[in-house]
Amino acid sequence: MHDVLLLTASVLTGVTGMAWLALAMEVHWAQVCRQPLPANAVLRLRILGGAALLASLVLCLLVDHASMAALVWVMALTAGALTVALLLTWRPHWLVWLAWGAGVKKQF
Amino acid sequence: MFQNFRLSMAWVHTWFGLVLGFVLMICFFFGALSVFDREIDRWAIPASRFAPQPMPSFDKLLRPVFEDMQPNKESLDYLRSRVDGPLPSYFSTVHSWAAYTTHRDPVLGIYAEWEVPKVRNEDDTAWGNSTIDPRTGMLLPDDQLKIGSQFFYPMHYGLHLTWHGLGYWIVGLAALVMLAALVSGVVMHRKIFREFFTFRPQKATQRSVLDLHNLSGVLALPFHFFFAFTGLVIFASIYFPVAETQLKPLHELHEKLEEKTTGLPHERSRLAAPLASVDAMVAEAQRRWEAKGMAGEVGYLSVSHVGAANSYVSIYRAGTDRIALVGDGIHFKASTGQLLREDPPRTTPDSLNTFLTGLHLQHFRHWLLRWLYVLGGLLGCVCIATGFIFFVEKRKKQHAKTGSQGSRVVDALAVTTVTGMLIATLTILIANRVLPEFLPVGWPARGDLEFYLFWAGWLLAMAHAFVRSAPVAQGQLNPAWREQCWAVAGMAVAAVLLNWITTGDHLIRTVFTHTYWPVAGVDLFLLASAALAALATRMLTARMKAFKPKLSQPQTEELAHA
Repeated sequence: MHDVLLLTASVLTGVTGMAWLALAMEVHWAQVCRQPLPANAVLRLRILGGAALLASLVLCLLVDHASMAALVWVMALTAGALTVALLLTWRPHWLVWLAWGAGVKKQF
Repeated sequence: MFQNFRLSMAWVHTWFGLVLGFVLMICFFFGALSVFDREIDRWAIPASRFAPQPMPSFDKLLRPVFEDMQPNKESLDYLRSRVDGPLPSYFSTVHSWAAYTTHRDPVLGIYAEWEVPKVRNEDDTAWGNSTIDPRTGMLLPDDQLKIGSQFFYPMHYGLHLTWHGLGYWIVGLAALVMLAALVSGVVMHRKIFREFFTFRPQKATQRSVLDLHNLSGVLALPFHFFFAFTGLVIFASIYFPVAETQLKPLHELHEKLEEKTTGLPHERSRLAAPLASVDAMVAEAQRRWEAKGMAGEVGYLSVSHVGAANSYVSIYRAGTDRIALVGDGIHFKASTGQLLREDPPRTTPDSLNTFLTGLHLQHFRHWLLRWLYVLGGLLGCVCIATGFIFFVEKRKKQHAKTGSQGSRVVDALAVTTVTGMLIATLTILIANRVLPEFLPVGWPARGDLEFYLFWAGWLLAMAHAFVRSAPVAQGQLNPAWREQCWAVAGMAVAAVLLNWITTGDHLIRTVFTHTYWPVAGVDLFLLASAALAALATRMLTARMKAFKPKLSQPQTEELAHA
């Protein structure tokens, strides 16, 4: 059960990380937040995104042998990126809550 | 030949991708199904729907079964022309016995080889295989096709084209082209990062299909690359058979040297000796694995040169907890149970090889990773299918003007390999549930009949795709797409219902009351496919309705000219 929770967490952090990386892009930020991306937010979002992806790897490593964890991570990132891409296409506002990562004090 | 590198890459990507894309589609789709081959076997053979079993006792259960075994018919047919004189009616000299199981197998596959007297090529042996219930030792009827592991899986790597191993070569070429297509695709793609998350279904078909092609290709790029590559590594000895050709003397010398270092005899001795308790050797092997901090179950067990004084028993560990496909084999002298050898730690190239092959063959126990592999495989299918559609979309208006039939043919073939393949797959599943348990005398074996019906279903889908393809030549949509999606939805639901009617295993039972995930998983997957196919039917219907008014325009123009 413990492993199931860790792996679920790993997949979810993977999705979150990918979402932040997407939000760091002008087009996707506009899709989600319907306003221009603040210039100073890009780096913040990218760092957050990268950190979340790393956290996802660490969670995988807690469950499995390193060789297996690496594969699970890479594949989980594929699944995460796909989820984000499809959300951006059909339900972009579902990602609004992640906009706090940009450090902008505004209501979305 | 071309103005720049990008254009030449585009040419390679387009034409090689088109020609071998049809093969790659089969590889990806049946590969994705093979991830759950054992589970599909359970669905197809209701008698085997019970929990996975560990390797049974050799002394009590396996040995009597092995002693009753004889070569199978194909093996004897193969040998008939390769011996001087008639074949013996009973094969007594056993070359080897072997049993193989995984953490997902309720039933046990067993295999035996016999030496053949008066054979011209001394490497030729007679062989036989069976599937048994490891709880009782009872044989399972051998006319039942394990649809997952004996049909979908070989389809994935050999297309069931066994003539001179042709299937392996075609698949190998396709894998090589896949690698080339990935590299050329990355070169062609101008905005690999900028459009990393981009899919715009509301844009024109050509644009949105290209988005989906890029998305499914780029996001699963590591998967696509590694699976095409490791697939080639697994069959490297087929593609570069140096051990059988240029380097054969070296290979034989190596076998002799290996015998010296391992102490495991390559040749059978003339002296006879009885077999000691193999169960005791298994217990010792498990104790040794545990002492190394890697306690585990037995995955593969074999006895070589059965009955001879130099006979030995090899016991390999089931590799459920790591990627690398290794057994940490331990070998014992069969007559005494004395330890002969423990496989040493692997060298670096060997570790790399076992990691790469293990990554592809996935013997490990990891359900999340299995599902992620299915996702990767299906993304591969999406990538190839959208490649076909893009090819057609880009050309069909032009072809309609010039009267060329090119895009019409490609589109019909795309229907055949996308929805047609689904129809064929569902046909074999339905045939498996509909055909009676015992067929009338003179009919082909049940498993063979399922096999033929699969191809018949596919041919029918292909015929339908071509018959309905005329609108493509006028720049329109082939109605076969919609009709076959509709058929897929209906057939997938039918397969689930038939499973319920013929075995009594409906989803409430397999999910809640008598939980059995292998069957429940197949049923749920079929229902999900049906839902997606129904959705696709609806969207295609809407699209065809939108096309209708445009369709009448050129006709009136033509009339005006006439």
